[in-house]
Amino acid sequence: MALTWPSWRHLPREARDTLFLLGVIAWTVLPHLGHLPVWCGLLTAAVLLWRAHLALSNAPLPGRWVLVAVLALAAGLTLWSFKSLLGKEPGVTLAVVLMAMKTLELRARRDAFVVFFLGFFLVLTHFLFSQSLLVAVAMLVSVWGLLTALVLAHMPVGQPSLRQAGSLALRTAALGAPVMVLLFVLFPRVGPLWGVPQDGQSKTGLSNTMRMGTVAEIALDDSIAMRIKFFDPPPPAEDLYFRGPVLSRFDGKTWSASFSSFAAPRTELRTVSPAVHYEVTLEPLRLTLLPLLEVTTEAGGIDGLQTARREDLVWSTDRPVLERLRFKATAHTVFGHGPLQRGPALADSVALPAGFNPRTLAWARQLGSDARYASADAQTLAQAVMQHIRTGGYTYTLDPGVYGEADPGGAIDEFWLDRKEGFCEHFAAAFVVIMRALDVPARVVTGYQGVETPPVDGYYIVRQSFAHAWAEYWQEGKGWVRADPTGAVAPDRIRRSLGLKPAPGFVAGTIAGISPRFLAQLRESWESLNNRWNQWVLNYSRGQQLDLMKKLGFESPSWQDVALLLIGALSSLSLLGAAWAWWDRHRQDPWERQAHELRRVLRTLGLGALVHEPPRALALQVNQRFGTQGQALSGLLMTLEQHRYGRTPLRRPSADWLRALRSEARALRRRMKTAAR
Amino acid sequence: MSTATRRMSSLLPNPVAGVRKRFRAWWQQRLPRTDTLLLTQRNVYILPTRAGLMFGVTLVVLLLASINYQLSLGYVLTFLLAGSGVVSMHVTHNTLRGLTLHLRPPGAVFAGTPALLDITLTSPGAARFGIGLRMESTPAATLSWTDVPQGGQAHAQVSFVPQVRGRYQVPALSAETRFPLGLFRAWSVWRPEAQVLVYPQPEQPAAALPPAHATPGGPTARRSADGGEVEGIRGYRRGDPLKLVVWKKAARSLETGGDLVSRDTSASVQQQLWLDWQQCGSLAPEDRLSRLTAWVLAADRGGAEYGLRVPGEETAPSHGDAQRKRCLEALALWR
Repeated sequence: MALTWPSWRHLPREARDTLFLLGVIAWTVLPHLGHLPVWCGLLTAAVLLWRAHLALSNAPLPGRWVLVAVLALAAGLTLWSFKSLLGKEPGVTLAVVLMAMKTLELRARRDAFVVFFLGFFLVLTHFLFSQSLLVAVAMLVSVWGLLTALVLAHMPVGQPSLRQAGSLALRTAALGAPVMVLLFVLFPRVGPLWGVPQDGQSKTGLSNTMRMGTVAEIALDDSIAMRIKFFDPPPPAEDLYFRGPVLSRFDGKTWSASFSSFAAPRTELRTVSPAVHYEVTLEPLRLTLLPLLEVTTEAGGIDGLQTARREDLVWSTDRPVLERLRFKATAHTVFGHGPLQRGPALADSVALPAGFNPRTLAWARQLGSDARYASADAQTLAQAVMQHIRTGGYTYTLDPGVYGEADPGGAIDEFWLDRKEGFCEHFAAAFVVIMRALDVPARVVTGYQGVETPPVDGYYIVRQSFAHAWAEYWQEGKGWVRADPTGAVAPDRIRRSLGLKPAPGFVAGTIAGISPRFLAQLRESWESLNNRWNQWVLNYSRGQQLDLMKKLGFESPSWQDVALLLIGALSSLSLLGAAWAWWDRHRQDPWERQAHELRRVLRTLGLGALVHEPPRALALQVNQRFGTQGQALSGLLMTLEQHRYGRTPLRRPSADWLRALRSEARALRRRMKTAAR
Repeated sequence: MSTATRRMSSLLPNPVAGVRKRFRAWWQQRLPRTDTLLLTQRNVYILPTRAGLMFGVTLVVLLLASINYQLSLGYVLTFLLAGSGVVSMHVTHNTLRGLTLHLRPPGAVFAGTPALLDITLTSPGAARFGIGLRMESTPAATLSWTDVPQGGQAHAQVSFVPQVRGRYQVPALSAETRFPLGLFRAWSVWRPEAQVLVYPQPEQPAAALPPAHATPGGPTARRSADGGEVEGIRGYRRGDPLKLVVWKKAARSLETGGDLVSRDTSASVQQQLWLDWQQCGSLAPEDRLSRLTAWVLAADRGGAEYGLRVPGEETAPSHGDAQRKRCLEALALWR
C-alpha cells in the first residue's frame, strides 16, 4: 500500500480534496472517541478509510442499499448501547456515524454542504462534554479545516493549493472575528428557552428532596458548581458550608423541604464572626435557590432575578436559575439563628412518621432513658450521639449499597444498627431521626462543604463532588445549632482540602524528571491561563454583560439595553459599509482627477485641451498660443510629463504641482488682460 | 410522462415562467449595450443561495443549542460562523466588483454551429477566483469558470448557437461567482453590443456543383476540372496559401535542394463558375441559400473562380478568401 500511495502533490484534484475533507472529519470526530461506544469509533474509522480508498482508486461510490444497511446497523447498535435514540450520547453517536456515512454520498454540491453543516454541528456537540481550552483550540482547527474545504469547493479552476485555500479561509474567519467579538459581548444572554432534556439535569448536584442514595450519584461528578473569590482572609475550610435546601419533612422514606417556614415568626440573625466579603460565580443549578456560604447576610444585585433570604437561611429565587451568575455577597461564618423559645413553628421538626424505623426509635428511647441523659439538654444529647458514631464502629464510604431493600420502612434501622456504613446523608438522616425521637427539633441541611485548595488565580473552586448533607438541632436559648455527624466518622471529609490531582501524563512525567520547578511553573501558568479562560470566555454571562454596560456609562442597564446597543452597533456598522460603498462608487483615479482639473484650468485660458491630449501636446499648444509668455506654463506641463512618464514616475499626483499650475495660469491670464488693454 | 403529454405541457404556457420571462426581458431592456463592461456597485447583484439559507438555519440551530445548554463556546462558534458568513458576502461581491469584461469582436459562423465568444476579464486589484460566465438563457451547468490573477487578465470562452442567418445580436451574458463559501451568489447581466454575422447553414449533403463554363474568348482550359495532373506550377512565393502548395512536387524539389512549389492558379482562372439562384431548382428561398452556401464552400475548396447570383445582387467571379467571405456575406444578408 505504501508503495502504491501516490504523492500528495500528484493526486488528482478530486481525490486530494476528498482526502482533505476526510482528514478534517476524522480530526473533528477524534475527541469524541473517549465518550462514545467503541463500535462507533470503529465503524466511523472503517467508513472513512473505505471512502479514502474509493477516492484513491477512483472507484464509484456504493449504492443506496449499502448506505441504508450501514445506517440500520448503526441505529441498531445505538439502540443496543443506550436503549434509546434520543438524548445526548445517542444523539452524538448517531451524528458521528451520519457524518461519516454522508461522505459515501458526496455526489452533488448539496451533499457537500450537508457534510459541512453537519461538521459545524458536530463541533458544537463537543462543547456539551467539555469547554476546555484544549477542546476550543482543537475545534478551532476543525472549523478552519471545514472552511478551507468549503473554499476549495468554490475554486473550480485548476488545482489550487491547500495552502492557498487555507489562507483564504483564515482571512475570511479573521475578518469575521470582530463581528464575532461584537456579537459575543453584546448578544443578550438569556436562560434556556425551554426545558432542557434530562441530560442537562442529571449533572446538577442539589435537589429539593433527598432519598437514600441520591447524593452518592453526584459525589462522583467532578464538574464545577461554583467559584469563590474572597476579598477578606478566607475562613478555614471546615467552616465553609454552602447552604442548599433545608429538609425538615420526613415521610419515612423521603426528606423534603418544609412549607410552614413561611408562617414562622421572623427572628433575628445573631452574627458573631466578622464579615467576609466574597464574590461567587455560580454555575446553573436549575434550582430556585442560591447555595451561599453560611450565613450570607447580603447578596444580590442580580438583574432579572429576585432573591430573598428565607427564615431557614436559604437564599431563594423567584425562578429556577438556568444561567451562570456572578455577584458579590457578604457572610459571617460563625452565627446563631432561629427562635430562642420553643414554639409551634418547630412542630414540623420533631414529627416522625409512625411505623418507620422502629428499632432506631427504640435505640433512641433507650439512650434517652439513660440516667446520664435524663435531664440533659439538646447539646449533650447531640454530643452523646456523635460519640456513639465515633466509637460505634461506623465507616464512611461512598459505596454503601442500597438500604431498605428488604424492609422499605427500615432503611435507617438497617444503617444504624446493622451495616453501619454510609456517607453524609445516611449519617445526617439517622442523626436527625434519633434527635427527633429524643424530642429535640432537628432537620437535615443539604449543600456543599469545603473548597478546592490552593486557589487558582485567587478563585476557590467548589465542585459538584463537594455536595454534602449535615444536620441542625434546636437548643433552647441558642436556636439552631449545626451538627455534622459525618465529621465524627470521617473528619478528613470536612477538614482536609479536596484538591484533585490529575495523573501525570508521559510528557509531564519526563519534564518532572528534568526540572520539577519548571514543571510547577508550567502548571501554574497553565492553570492561570485556564482560569482566565474560565472567567472571561466560559463565564461570560449576563452579569458581566451588565457590568460592561455600567462601565460604558449606562445606569441600571437591563438586557433590553444590551440588545439595543447590539442593534445600534450592527446598524452603524452597516451604515459605515453603505457609506464606504457610496464613496467607492464615486472614487476616481487620482491622476484622472488631476487631468480633469488641468483641462479645466487650460480651458479658462481659451485652450481646447481635449481628453486624449498628453501634457507634451498641451505644452506645445501653450507655446503656440502664448509664445514666450507661456514658457513657465509649458515648463510646468513638461514637468507633469516627467511625473507621469519619466524615468522615475510619481506614484500619485503632486498637490504642489497643481497649486503652481493654478497660480501660473492666473498670472498668465492677468498678463494677457493687461497686454490686451 | 408520455411524449404527448410532455408536448402538451410545453405548449401550455406556464404562468410563472411567462411572468419571469417578461420580467427578465423588461429588465434587460434597461441595460445599455456595451462591449466593455465595468462591474460596479450598480450592476452587480447579490442574493443568498439555497446553501446560504441552509447555513442560516444551521446558525439558528447552533444558537438555540448554545442558549439552551448555556454553552459559551457554542456562542463563540455560532458568532464566528456568522462573522465569516458576513465577510464571505462581501468577498463574493468584491470578486465581481471592479472587474472589467471585454468582448473581443466575434468571428462569423454558420447557422447551427456554435459561435465562440472570447471574453477578456481584467482585474485592477487583487486576484479573483471562481468567476463563471455563461449565456444568460442557458442553465447554470454551462458556466465556464476562470480565475483572474492579481492585476492581470484572464480569458474565458462561452458559445451559443445562432439558428438563423443574418446579423445576430449577441444575446445577454451573465457573470457570476459563489466564491468563497458558496453562501451567496453575486451575478451581473451583460448585454454586449457586438453582432455576429451568421452565414446560412450549408446544405447537408451538398448537391453537386453546377458545370463550369469557359470564359468566352479566353484560352481553353489547360487542365481538367477535377484536378488530375497539375500543369501550371511556379516557385513558392511568400503568402501563398498552403492549399496551393503542390506537395508531391515540392517534396521532390526540396530533395534536390530546391524550394517549395505552388500551383499556378493563373493557369486555371479562365474556368468560370456561376453559382446562380436559378440553378437551385424549385427549392424554398432559405434552402436555396443553404445550397448556394454549400456550393460557395465547395467552389472555394476546389480553388475555382466563381461568381454568385442571387436576386437583386451579383458578385463578380473571383477566387480566394476575400471572394468566399464576400459571397457568404451576401448570402447571409440577402433578403
